[in-house]
Amino acid sequence: MTSSDRVFQNNHLRHREGLTTVSHDWTMVKAGSLVEKQTLVTIDADATVEDACEVLLKNGITSAPVYDSVKKMYVGMFDYGDLMTYLLLLLKKMDVPLEDQTMEMRDLIQRTSRSQNVPVKLASDLSGKDPFCTVLEETRLGAVVHDFGTGIHRVAVMDSEGNMKGILSQSSTLDYLMRHLSEYPQLQPVMQKSLQQCGLSNGRVLSVNGDEKVLDALISMSTNSVSSLAVLDDQGVLLGNISMTDIKHIMKNLRTSWLWITCFQLVCKIRLSQGVESGEDQYPVLDVNAKSTFGYTLSKLQATKAHRMWVVNDSGCAVGVVSLTDVFRVLSRLIDIDD
Amino acid sequence: MGSDLDRQIQTLLQCKIITEAEVKDLCLKAREILVEESNVQRVDAPVTVCGDIHGQFHDLKELFKVGGECPKTNYLFMGMGTVARYVFSVMLSIEIDLPGDFVDRGHHSVETFLLLLALKVRYPDRITLIRGNHESRQITKVYGFYDECFQKFGSANVWRYCCEIFDYLSLSAIIDDRIFCVHGGLSPSINTIDQIRTIDRMQEVPHNGAMCDLLWSDPDPDSCTGWGLSPRGAGFLFGESVAKPFLHNNGLELIARAHQLVMEGYKLMFDEQVVTVWSAPNYCYRCGNVAAILEVDSNLNREYRIFKDSDRSSMNSRTNPQREGPPDYFL
Repeated sequence: MTSSDRVFQNNHLRHREGLTTVSHDWTMVKAGSLVEKQTLVTIDADATVEDACEVLLKNGITSAPVYDSVKKMYVGMFDYGDLMTYLLLLLKKMDVPLEDQTMEMRDLIQRTSRSQNVPVKLASDLSGKDPFCTVLEETRLGAVVHDFGTGIHRVAVMDSEGNMKGILSQSSTLDYLMRHLSEYPQLQPVMQKSLQQCGLSNGRVLSVNGDEKVLDALISMSTNSVSSLAVLDDQGVLLGNISMTDIKHIMKNLRTSWLWITCFQLVCKIRLSQGVESGEDQYPVLDVNAKSTFGYTLSKLQATKAHRMWVVNDSGCAVGVVSLTDVFRVLSRLIDIDD
Repeated sequence: MGSDLDRQIQTLLQCKIITEAEVKDLCLKAREILVEESNVQRVDAPVTVCGDIHGQFHDLKELFKVGGECPKTNYLFMGMGTVARYVFSVMLSIEIDLPGDFVDRGHHSVETFLLLLALKVRYPDRITLIRGNHESRQITKVYGFYDECFQKFGSANVWRYCCEIFDYLSLSAIIDDRIFCVHGGLSPSINTIDQIRTIDRMQEVPHNGAMCDLLWSDPDPDSCTGWGLSPRGAGFLFGESVAKPFLHNNGLELIARAHQLVMEGYKLMFDEQVVTVWSAPNYCYRCGNVAAILEVDSNLNREYRIFKDSDRSSMNSRTNPQREGPPDYFL
């Protein structure tokens, strides 16, 4: 056991000792309780895509529900994936066959070709991934986790009157589970398993060479329907990561010239500016290895607020990836086994 | 040798680079000195302890004004912060979102590092340099030092010579057996100072393990569990419940470290038993922070000196406006 694993285990045990905890079933926690204290941020359906972007940036969030005040209803979600699709359509780097185009998409394409402003209602859920998904306050975490395991990144939690209480994301759910781990002893066994034992230690690594242009990486992400790519050098060594949320750095003050720098340069730029903003520099790669435990991987995801950990071998080459979706797929398998 | 080295020091003091051949020679000499030093280098008080400089050359000169010239003042640098934040944007001639994107600013990591190294070779007992997280091949490729070396010398050779020197730098220092100095912080793998002495340090900073932790960890005043994984992706967060026993078991009265920006220049934690010393004023010429150095006298009394950015640095930040707007070639 590495010292990191020991630290993780000791922390967990320390929580358990001397505490009178009622043995909760984590799958029975209500979705509503996880968003109780949330301040909901919404985007007006008629705001421009650029303004919608500002809302995400200003609030430090990756998605927000879009509200149509005329129809008096939520019409979808807007996230960085949609923004990326919008940019690619705008730059004519993406071809959607006519028969696959929704009315909104056709309208959007026409407006962009006329250089007209695009209202965000046309761009919401544009990427086709992560459709607007709702659950009720009473919906149990077991069901939500099942959704997360299929690739849904967030769900909107509604009350019985149809009002939105908050957004429950994969990240915030992970954070909750890790904070309350001592209350859920059913989760202990899986935390001790290695990634290899969980079947997560190798898999297809979608990557881009550090010298390729950022725009080409975005096109590749869109084509492959993934939210990130490993940035590798010529030997396959992991240099960093490029993800859809990085598009927020590109959109800041419309610095679209960043689309034409190399992926490695983007990794550097982001690290440099984040280091200044937070006053502490981050390690350029966020990784684990096949022998790392599931619990350690989750702790690292929680601590770094990352959405994935790359699995590397002894030479530093990326051999797999553990995304939040993978994490929840493993957790939802536990529920199926218990049943 | 002496006069050559003095001449090189004079050149570097003017923020000018020496030749590649001179760098190679300087590094060879530095290696001979550093290889003899311990993982926990013993330093005698009085000494002035500094955090890393982050390539802010003119602020290093400001530091020498405030703390006294080397070798008159005995110095200890907890890392060099070989970071060059502006270089590669300049190389690409594209806009960056940090204020004042023009050639002159902040990219003097090479001159800063070479000056400190030259002073080490010239006055080996009057200046101690320990390794920081930036003194690493992987990190210097991401944080601009590699690009700066390439830009100023036309090849990767100087970068390689510097990286070899990084491998020889001590991991920590101890002042009169009472004040422990390290760039980052503590490690769950290390309970005693003696354990640090057993580390094989002459290698690239590993991605995890004791040597990595010493250079990457941070104290966490809010910690309730003692140890936590670091949000940086390397090293750990350590709380009071870990720091105090370490100090007690090793007979220490203070742990001094750098690694994190402090607006007030220095920050005391854990009943003043751990201090962060930050020596880069107005960090990146926009954070508006002050810098600090820690003066330890021969009785181990401690005094913190605060200083602001040099006139020249702040003049740069005033006269150059921030460019805005998308470039012409978009769409």
